[in-house]
Amino acid sequence: MAEQKWAGTTYGNDWMHKWLIRMLRYIDIRILYLFVALFIIPVCLVLNPSRGIAYRYFRERIGYGRLKSAWKTYVNHCLFGQVVIDKFAMYAGKKFNVEIENYNEFLNLAAQQDGFVQLSAHIGNYEIAGYTLVAESKRFNALVFAGEKVSVMQNRNKMFADTNINMIAIRPDMSHLFEIDKALANGETVSMPADRINGSPKYIEHDFLGAKAKFPLGPFSVATMRSLNVLAVNVLKTSLRSYKIYVTPLHYDKTTTRKEQIQQLSKAYVAELEKRVRQYPTQWYNYFEFWA
Amino acid sequence: MEQLINDLKLQIKDALNLEDLSMEEFDENAPLFGEDGIGLDSIDVLEIIVLLEKNYGIRLANSKEGKAIFQSVKTIAEYVQANRKK
Repeated sequence: MAEQKWAGTTYGNDWMHKWLIRMLRYIDIRILYLFVALFIIPVCLVLNPSRGIAYRYFRERIGYGRLKSAWKTYVNHCLFGQVVIDKFAMYAGKKFNVEIENYNEFLNLAAQQDGFVQLSAHIGNYEIAGYTLVAESKRFNALVFAGEKVSVMQNRNKMFADTNINMIAIRPDMSHLFEIDKALANGETVSMPADRINGSPKYIEHDFLGAKAKFPLGPFSVATMRSLNVLAVNVLKTSLRSYKIYVTPLHYDKTTTRKEQIQQLSKAYVAELEKRVRQYPTQWYNYFEFWA
Repeated sequence: MEQLINDLKLQIKDALNLEDLSMEEFDENAPLFGEDGIGLDSIDVLEIIVLLEKNYGIRLANSKEGKAIFQSVKTIAEYVQANRKK
């Protein structure tokens, strides 16, 4: 049976990551894309259970035929390879073109005194452009997995050393909860993925792409606890060197019961996620049994 | 103290939707985490942190401090009594 849980870390070891960053300083990114598409992805598709998971996603959830699903499975893995390369290219100092849809929605919330929550997902490439949305006046806190590779964490810290960005690592001692609460109480922004159950096993179920799927309760619970405004932020790759950030306000009735608020907010998040996944079906990177 | 313990039990039951847990079953000495106790998890802790701030004006910012406070309803009550601002 395929994995039902994500390992919470970027593929490869620290040594590989360091060499990749060094290489990306000198070579054209397209050469690496081609190398990965021709030599790495075919091997991954043979060895990795993600092949079957992605195929079933295209076949059953997106509704493609057998041949198209097989082809899109390959394309999906190539694109995943590209976004990982892009992430390291960013660490190596390469720049990407970023277009933002609904930037005003972000600026409006950033100008307010209250904190707000940004909910992301494992589609596209949040890391490469998600941090573009950082207000000078408001500290941006991103929830990250504490088990991430040292090289990834070091590069993140290096990149964000002189910025208004703070990383909050999810830890078993629950210290991240105190940090999240402190940040939101201080009127800061907290960004977290809302499509993977990690830490607390509590979930909320919604219809997603035609079948029931479980979403973590935590992010919706955190946002509604203080009746905060919420934005869905998804970053999709649109060309070799370009990304588009979709900023969408998620509305819920702040006067109703907490249970109903969580239901409304999570439903709005899932609807927005479904819209983006249908728009960019090959950029879905949740390689575990999401609908199990 | 007994009144505060009862208030906290009611507030926690309400905030965490513990509908199946009666006030009699809700032992103030029972551990809040793990299978032997109430079985709360990390999200529930965050709910309680916000609850303490809203109802008692207590802001907890230290996770090490939190571990000792969130052992049971009784330990929360003792902390609230010593530090409440409302």
